[in-house]
Amino acid sequence: MMATRSIFTSAVLVAGLSGAAAAQEVAVITPYLSQPGTQFYVDGFEARAEELGWDVNVVDTAGDVGAVISRIEDVVTRGVDAIVISVDPAQVGAGLQTAADAGIPVVGMDAGSDPLVAVNITSNGYAMAAETAVYVANRIGGEGNVVMFTFDPFPPVQVRGVVADAIFGNFPDIEVIDRITPDVSDGGIADSRAQMEAVLAANPEPGGIAAVWAAWDQPALGALQAIEAAGRAEEGIVITGIDANPQARDAIADGGNFEASVAQDFEGIGQTTADTVARILAGEELRQRVIYVPTELVTAANAAD
Amino acid sequence: MTGALRRSAGIVGMVAILLFFTVSLPDTFLTLRNWLNISQQISMLAVVAVTMTVVMAMGDFDLSVGSMASLSGVVAAAAFLQGWPIPAALGLSLVVGLMGGVFNGVMVALVGILPFVATLATLTVFSGLAFLVSDGRTVFGRDIPSAFSDFARSGLPLSSGEGPALVLPNLTLVALGVALVVWVVLEQTTYGRRLYALGGNTEAARLAGLPVQALRLSAYAFTGVGAAIAGLMYASRVASANPTQGDGLMLTAIASVFLGMTLTRDGSPRVFATLAGVLVLGVLDNGLTQMRVDSYVREVLVGAIILVAVGMSALGRGSALRRS
Repeated sequence: MMATRSIFTSAVLVAGLSGAAAAQEVAVITPYLSQPGTQFYVDGFEARAEELGWDVNVVDTAGDVGAVISRIEDVVTRGVDAIVISVDPAQVGAGLQTAADAGIPVVGMDAGSDPLVAVNITSNGYAMAAETAVYVANRIGGEGNVVMFTFDPFPPVQVRGVVADAIFGNFPDIEVIDRITPDVSDGGIADSRAQMEAVLAANPEPGGIAAVWAAWDQPALGALQAIEAAGRAEEGIVITGIDANPQARDAIADGGNFEASVAQDFEGIGQTTADTVARILAGEELRQRVIYVPTELVTAANAAD
Repeated sequence: MTGALRRSAGIVGMVAILLFFTVSLPDTFLTLRNWLNISQQISMLAVVAVTMTVVMAMGDFDLSVGSMASLSGVVAAAAFLQGWPIPAALGLSLVVGLMGGVFNGVMVALVGILPFVATLATLTVFSGLAFLVSDGRTVFGRDIPSAFSDFARSGLPLSSGEGPALVLPNLTLVALGVALVVWVVLEQTTYGRRLYALGGNTEAARLAGLPVQALRLSAYAFTGVGAAIAGLMYASRVASANPTQGDGLMLTAIASVFLGMTLTRDGSPRVFATLAGVLVLGVLDNGLTQMRVDSYVREVLVGAIILVAVGMSALGRGSALRRS
């Protein structure tokens, strides 16, 4: 036992003396590792971290946000060089404070902004909404009635609605006839479908609705079901969503009314997070508190990729 | 004899765990800061586990504590959303906890449903209520008063030296307070001794003239209120409330009591033994994270250690039975 300990101690001393040559140690802590998006972030992060020669420790607290705080405290005690979180920073403020007190930088991987998070790497919600809103505007030739599905109570989705409002407002011949906030308690598809059926009933004349712009994919899928069920698929109502989930990709690949969505680059977010941690560890003072990773418009041309 | 053997095996196991981490993490494990961290990390579990000790003293258990903790958090958050002052919101949560506990007690003691079935049913009821109250959403940010979330981030300052100050966290103090109250009630009063008598032999207790139904009913009030307190502590720590956040507490609380039972002379649940069980689980999480053991391996290890500890205890009892 004593021998183990002294070997360990001298290893620590050597590591301390050789300074920059020692492998940097980074802890990635999230309650959501079992969710597909988070897995892709972490894969991208680990791949880049391996190239950088880092020691990465991924901690999954299996949905327990309180345990994220505890594990942040533990890795701070261990003395890691940097911490990456993929959880709402407002919920783990106690842990962020511990890291700040110890002078250990915390970087957010699609985590949200917080004064105690050095920088957050994510997708640009404003830009994603702009992509689909101008797609709609151009596709209908700048004129016609548009139905919007938005969700203002959730800030990341609220920003999408704001941008679409601005873009449609900039076309004098586009009129937003309805701005619907669907009930999302059952996932959002069913209630969006019901709401869209009501809109279709209120606008029975062909061409009365030119497009449906949805702030995420579920309402777009619900609207698609309503349009198909009403037998109005041939009117050429253009539907767009955001996020490009598998169900949306299938619908877009089918070449029907659901024409476009936007895909986030989850692995790219992971890679950029690793690159950003590297910049911080190299002593760079970052000006930006948020770094956006480019997204991609998904249409029938690339939906199957 | 076997009792002493079993107990010493339990204590040797715990000391071995402490020694292992002390040697593996020479610079960080045995520091005051780390132990203050651990005390705070286990505080919520400790509150649930010591109150669970009360019902387990009677030979019962309460499966609904995790969802009650979740419910308590979202009830407080809903009250905050309605503009209630903090004390009123906390009071409401504690009343909900008390009522839930008493309801469990009525189902078990008066209606006569097995604790496993009754509290499994209320687990689902409380969880459903938590979703109803919160609308399935997480309440966070500006909706949670900062005085409420600051509580879990502060404590009694212990040092004024350089570097980050050492504080005895408020959550730790709450857990110690609850443990002390439960210890006094359960182990220093006639009421508590009667609960143990119930656990020993219900029929004998009834024949001795004990108010069996009233005792049993009242014990569940402790788990209800304890779960509500833990739920509020959790909500304060994460500065938010969602309808599932306390759910994980139930299994670990029961495991802690079982671990503690391996330490007591007659294998009965005792408050300080339960705290030792809680501490072992907390130390494992803390130490294994610092040693960078994979989170999933950590879970397997924790489960295995519970099996070994409780298994040794069962073997001890088995050999005692064979001899008698």
